Amino acid sequence: MFSQWSWVACGFCLVLNICSPDASSGLVQSCGHIIPESPVLALGSNFTALCILNESCLDFGNIYASQIIWKIKNRLVPKEQYREINRTVSSVTFNDTSSLATPLTCNILADGQMEQNIYGITVTVGLAPEKPKNLSCIVHQVSRFTYVMNCTWDPGRHTFLDTQFKLRYSWPEEVFPDCIPKDVNNSCSIADIQFFVNTEIWVEATNALGKAESDHLVVDPIDIVKPLSPQNVSVTSGILPTVLQLTWQNWISYAVMTLKFNIRYRIVGETDWMEVPSEDTASQRTSFSVQGLRPYTKYAFSIRCMKEDGQGYWSDWSEEKIGTTIEDQPSKGPPIWRIIDTSHSPAFWTVHLIWKALKPFEANGVILQYEVTVRDKSSLSCPVKKYNVTSTNHTLQLPEGTYEVTLIARNSVGPSPASVLLIPASNSKAPVKNLRTLPKHDKLWVGWTAPNSYVLKYVIEWCLVSSSSDCIIEWQIAQGDVQGVNLKGIKPFKCYLITVYPLYADGQGSGQSVKAYLKQDRPSKGPTVQTKKVGKAEAVLTWNHLTVEEQNGFIRNYTILYKTIDGNETVVTVDPSKTEYTLSSLTSDTLYTVRMMASTDNGSSTGPDFTFTTQKFGKGEIEAIVVPVCLAFLLIVLLGVLFCFNKRDLIKKHIWPIVPDPSKSNIAQWSPQVPAKHNFNSKDQMYSEGSFTDVSVVEIEADNKKSFSEQDLKPFDLLKKEKSTSEGHSSGIGGSSCMSSPRQSVSDSDEGETTQNTSSTVQYSTVVLNGYRDQTPLQVFSRSESTQPLLDSEERSEDHSGGADSTAQRQQYFRQNGQDETSTDRPCFERTKQITHADEGDLVGFVQLQISGQSSQPLGLGMEKNTQEAALSSVLQTCTEGQTVRPGTVEENPLSVDEMPKSYLPQTVRQGGYMPQ
Amino acid sequence: MAAADSPSAALRRDLCSRGIRLAGKMRADVADLLDAYVEQQGLDPSASVAAMDGVPLAAVERWDEQTGTQRLLENLAAYRAFRALLAQMLEEQREQLGEADAGLGRALAAVLLQVSAFAYHLEELLRLESRGIPGEEEEEEEDGPPPLPRLSLFEQKLRGLGVLRELAQWALRSVRDLRQLAKPSPAPGTAPGLADSP
Repeated sequence: MFSQWSWVACGFCLVLNICSPDASSGLVQSCGHIIPESPVLALGSNFTALCILNESCLDFGNIYASQIIWKIKNRLVPKEQYREINRTVSSVTFNDTSSLATPLTCNILADGQMEQNIYGITVTVGLAPEKPKNLSCIVHQVSRFTYVMNCTWDPGRHTFLDTQFKLRYSWPEEVFPDCIPKDVNNSCSIADIQFFVNTEIWVEATNALGKAESDHLVVDPIDIVKPLSPQNVSVTSGILPTVLQLTWQNWISYAVMTLKFNIRYRIVGETDWMEVPSEDTASQRTSFSVQGLRPYTKYAFSIRCMKEDGQGYWSDWSEEKIGTTIEDQPSKGPPIWRIIDTSHSPAFWTVHLIWKALKPFEANGVILQYEVTVRDKSSLSCPVKKYNVTSTNHTLQLPEGTYEVTLIARNSVGPSPASVLLIPASNSKAPVKNLRTLPKHDKLWVGWTAPNSYVLKYVIEWCLVSSSSDCIIEWQIAQGDVQGVNLKGIKPFKCYLITVYPLYADGQGSGQSVKAYLKQDRPSKGPTVQTKKVGKAEAVLTWNHLTVEEQNGFIRNYTILYKTIDGNETVVTVDPSKTEYTLSSLTSDTLYTVRMMASTDNGSSTGPDFTFTTQKFGKGEIEAIVVPVCLAFLLIVLLGVLFCFNKRDLIKKHIWPIVPDPSKSNIAQWSPQVPAKHNFNSKDQMYSEGSFTDVSVVEIEADNKKSFSEQDLKPFDLLKKEKSTSEGHSSGIGGSSCMSSPRQSVSDSDEGETTQNTSSTVQYSTVVLNGYRDQTPLQVFSRSESTQPLLDSEERSEDHSGGADSTAQRQQYFRQNGQDETSTDRPCFERTKQITHADEGDLVGFVQLQISGQSSQPLGLGMEKNTQEAALSSVLQTCTEGQTVRPGTVEENPLSVDEMPKSYLPQTVRQGGYMPQ
Repeated sequence: MAAADSPSAALRRDLCSRGIRLAGKMRADVADLLDAYVEQQGLDPSASVAAMDGVPLAAVERWDEQTGTQRLLENLAAYRAFRALLAQMLEEQREQLGEADAGLGRALAAVLLQVSAFAYHLEELLRLESRGIPGEEEEEEEDGPPPLPRLSLFEQKLRGLGVLRELAQWALRSVRDLRQLAKPSPAPGTAPGLADSP
């Protein structure tokens, strides 16, 4: 019974073990274990692990070594690496531990399929420590009595393991505590180091895979000391202007070590250090006098020290201390030059003496004043003039001549050597030759070839060329034995004018000038081009030179680029001196785009585009066309005139038909009321009688056209019926009313002579003595003196003014050579609104047609077929055959309308009529 | 004695040289330590301290008649004694002040190290002299173990003052002794340094 319960209990335990493989102690018993337990393995070595099953599990779980499988993490180890040692032990072998990982587990396939973990181990793979190398130690002085030895070494490769480094040191009979590095593995510091005893120092590196020891370093720590730099350094000036005294204190006691020193110094503001020769400071000391310094100059000093025998390390440089040497008298005279202004008078100079302030190392102190002495060399009798100046220029008014100017600078110690400048009357000596420039970094080198004569000095003037301001001259002096100087402060992309004067012992050479750039760039803009003249196939382009500020270099050439809209661009290179260029071979009547490019050695800039269109015709082409055309036209006109002249009779016949002379007509004798008046040929006579009280004016109004519509003819019919009771309007009959303007008609009426002189001739006019409107006029028939021809055109114009609707009536009265003027021009009669018979008895046979200024009254014209018109028609007895007008009664000259010839109506002048002004 | 240009002679010179400098530094450090000790212990710097047992005296008669080996042996015995005395002082110092005055303790420890180092120098020189180095135990057996009387605090301070003062004197003497030893031998077989005086 008990044995059965124990079997059950064991089985339960097995399940627990399988389910809890990590529980290897306590109540839970594992079914197996791995040896070695959590090994540390060298990287790259081989490794064999054994999984040993407990015997108890074999009995209860039917678990055997053959069922064991090995896993690294969750990766199955190939079975080729397994080996079943016996039924409870299985081994696995790894030839290279680099393929290992944690954990390595021993598992079993229960019942052939179910994988259950038996045991697992942690595998640590790494490297044994390498031998530390390059051990070196420095003893740092921390304070006066404190020294710390710091040792560093190369720890070697990374071991992937926890590796301990220890710095060990010992005396032969005393071992000191180890120095354990903190946070690092390559250095450690030992305090309280003791000097004068050889100390053995080494490094030990230890980890799970081994231990390594560096080479032993045996050293007396006093030989590897880096002392503190000297303290309390002070600089004092001595009696001499070239000496400064340095004093300091040493941190390290004489008993510990003796020191040697380095002293360095520099001028304040400069960066280069100078050093006192080391042999001068190779022994223990606390002061030193530095000599060979510049007067009145600020120096900065710094000191360092090390063990006198050279073993150990130099200390850091001490902090800088500054001292100033005392003044000395100036070492040289100031460079002097002059600018002579002769603009006021060539014989009287304004001399601007200019000189440069001495450099600090030349002035050796503060310059208090300059002493200028001017001696007229051309006149020995002239006294020497002296001036004391505090600035660096002085202006003198001197007559033209040769002068010697002497300049001395003075400081608190004494005067400088004198600088002498000879100002000759003229710069007649030889100039320099082959003046040239060459940029060198940020300086502009100016070189020249010396003249043949001995030159004392050269003066190099330069100034920035500007279009907006004057050239401000800068200058410098070069000794006579040099043939080139570097100009400083030259700006790039700026044009400089450089002039070199040679100074001789007895005069001065004329200046040679050259323009130069330190550095060139492309122009800041291109030229703006425009056309000066555009032709058919050429265009003249103009542009302005770029200002010197815009050039940024020497303009080597201009390039003109032009093209049509769709054409290729044409490029023309132009000399930079030109400002005009003619483009030729252009296409006529074409839009061109042109732009211009200015080029320096370093690039080009293009100006704005400009467009122009070439002309369609060339110069003279229009004249060549127009003139012949005009000439041809004139020729045609001339021929026409000649033709007309030759055919004038024929033309006259058609245009100016012969008008019968009424004075020769029978009606002259016929009119009994005014027999005398037939003798009047002159209107003056007529006017003199004062019988003309009214002048009818024929007004041509465009509005009448409308009023002459055919519908308006009916009222005219009524008027004709009422012809015996006319309104008394006098009418200018036909004639001038029809063929001339109203003004002309008035003139004709007013001045008979004038009328006679006119070319246009009104053969007849009817002077109607008529009252206005209902007044009874005195009717006078008079022959017109006018010679105005009766032009068709005038008739037409009259027709227009009168309206086309009067055609019918005109046809009723006139007929020209049997031609039937039907419906075209009926000017005269359209204006005949009322036919007034002042006295039917007196005016039998005459029709007085008055064109009233109030033309709004409808005219009854054109009613040819109206039988009532017959009476009116009969009034106008116009001789068609003889071209005469024969006024008469209807009874006497019953003419049909068709038979009426074209004739002219007499002008009506009515008394009391309207007189146009 | 080795020849002047032999490696042993060079080593001897080097040992003497560094011994001299060590003794000089030790003297300077002991002087500084003495000032600090007097101040820290509240003693009168001008107080005279009678000779105490166990503290070797630097003064010696006929100093210039001593041989080199004799000088070395006397120095070695003295510094071994000082090493023990200083160790005892350091212990007492720690007991009295704990970590309150670590500076004084460090200075004492530094001087103790220098004393040890100097003793090592002396031993090396004795080896070069082909002389056996007396063992400390043997020496102690001969002289008997140093008495370790239980002293009052004030007595401890006074003893410390006396130890340091005597050590300073010994440092000075050691410098002179080693300079004597460093001088080249006038003739083979002659004891070095007999004719020189510091």
